[in-house]
Amino acid sequence: MRRRTFLKRWLSGSVLLAVAALLYGVTPLLAPRRAMAKRNILRPPGALPDDAAFIVACIGCGLCGEVCPPRCIKFHARDGSTEVNTPYIDVAEKACILCDKCMVVCPTEALTLIPRREINMGRAEIDRTACYPWVDRGICGACVSVCPLGEQAIDYEMWNQYRPAIQNGCVGCGLCVEVCPHPSTPIWVVAVA
Amino acid sequence: MISPTFTASPGARTRPFFLWRHLNKLRWLILTIVFAMLVLLPLLHIYQTYVAAHAYDLLSPGETRLYDVMEWIAAPFVSDPAADLDAVKGNTWSGSFWGYKISDPLAAVGQAAAGLSLYWPFLLTALVPVALTMVFGRFFCGWSCPATFLYELNSNFASWLRWAGIRVGNRRFDKRIKYGVLALGLILSAVSGSVLAGAIYPPAIIGREIYYTIAQGGFGVGTVFFLGTLLFDILVARRGFCRYLCPGGALYSALGRYRILRIRRVAESCNDCAKCNVVCEFDLDPMRDGFGQECNNCTACIAICPTDALTFTLRPSDYPEQGPGHLGQRYRAARQAREDTVRDVAP
Repeated sequence: MRRRTFLKRWLSGSVLLAVAALLYGVTPLLAPRRAMAKRNILRPPGALPDDAAFIVACIGCGLCGEVCPPRCIKFHARDGSTEVNTPYIDVAEKACILCDKCMVVCPTEALTLIPRREINMGRAEIDRTACYPWVDRGICGACVSVCPLGEQAIDYEMWNQYRPAIQNGCVGCGLCVEVCPHPSTPIWVVAVA
Repeated sequence: MISPTFTASPGARTRPFFLWRHLNKLRWLILTIVFAMLVLLPLLHIYQTYVAAHAYDLLSPGETRLYDVMEWIAAPFVSDPAADLDAVKGNTWSGSFWGYKISDPLAAVGQAAAGLSLYWPFLLTALVPVALTMVFGRFFCGWSCPATFLYELNSNFASWLRWAGIRVGNRRFDKRIKYGVLALGLILSAVSGSVLAGAIYPPAIIGREIYYTIAQGGFGVGTVFFLGTLLFDILVARRGFCRYLCPGGALYSALGRYRILRIRRVAESCNDCAKCNVVCEFDLDPMRDGFGQECNNCTACIAICPTDALTFTLRPSDYPEQGPGHLGQRYRAARQAREDTVRDVAP
């Protein structure tokens, strides 16, 4: 092989490799990191508690979303930097029904099947200065009625019937947020750090 | 090992099994089915959620039509759509079939690199693809990759452009670049702590972007990247991404280096017309027995061969170069005979 051909080939090869490296680097950058909103944006149930470990484990196949009956699992499709293609649930939009299907179908350890009461997507919080029963604007109880975990997760405050209070059993599925009739939704779920 | 002997009558040649030249059609059928499934599964999922929610009376007219069509498609196969349609889910990156999970080897390798740890329940889901790749070589690229479906149509589109007088790119690079891309991707995965390969790997992109577009309300960044690779293939190098850059292709080529099932050339039948070299999407050299680890057994060369000179063989390495085909051999034999005669006649 002539020296010129050799140099030309290696030059074009390394240029192409550099382009490939650039694509590797630029692809996540095209999807700028969006700070996870503090409220209501959660990982699906059974997700690894450490979010960095979750991103490592998730291969972005979308299976959890494809089996989700309420279609609450969404994906960081255009944002998220290294989180790109990882799933999240916006419970204010559509809440999780704790059906376990995503945990069963996930091929990696990103979502692992755990008992319903050990799920820890987050914990609900109530704004007692806005919630109707708490400000004596009538009775409601929508959040308490809808909760799939019952009184271990949300219950009425003792002596103050119809005033909801979050209990330790809350797993953060967000059905209470989805159902809350108050226009400013004085109930939300905070992801557990 | 076959010796390149000259046969006098072409009619006496052994012909390959007649169905093998039709395998290319079967391949296109499979590619079409895989692509159609990637479109159908998200639609079926939407239908499934409608069924689960008993929502038929709440649907808009368009959604009602979707419901009816999907019900018509699914009805022969399932009795309880909300539960039974869970049997087949996913895409070629990772799928679930009746509870059995199959994942792309690149996903397994990429995840192991990202976490610098081995999670066996996931790695084992790539076992069947790895085993098949070691037997059939890079067959995934030719026979089931949903991006190949679009890339080959793109190649055909490029040849139409060429026919119309528009210049298209046909540069050649070093095919080993993609191994560098694979290594680089694994290193970057380990550094960044996320499975980066999935973000630039076309089959994974196609599967999830179709799903995003149909069931998630819009495509993501992957679509932009994929359109970029289509342009790269038209403007720079034919089938360039698969040939030179695809990290998955690199992994399969490496795994399929000692594949058992190969295509080989029958030199006595070959007339050196080079049609096989022209149709080969991966820029291989079937005419000179140059298949190598990149060959994905796509059988396009078998289908186009006018003299049935390409067939399958079971052996872990290619035939060494067998020299020119029967026309060249006949010419060389005649010349040799002439020279011998001259030598004999000469004092």
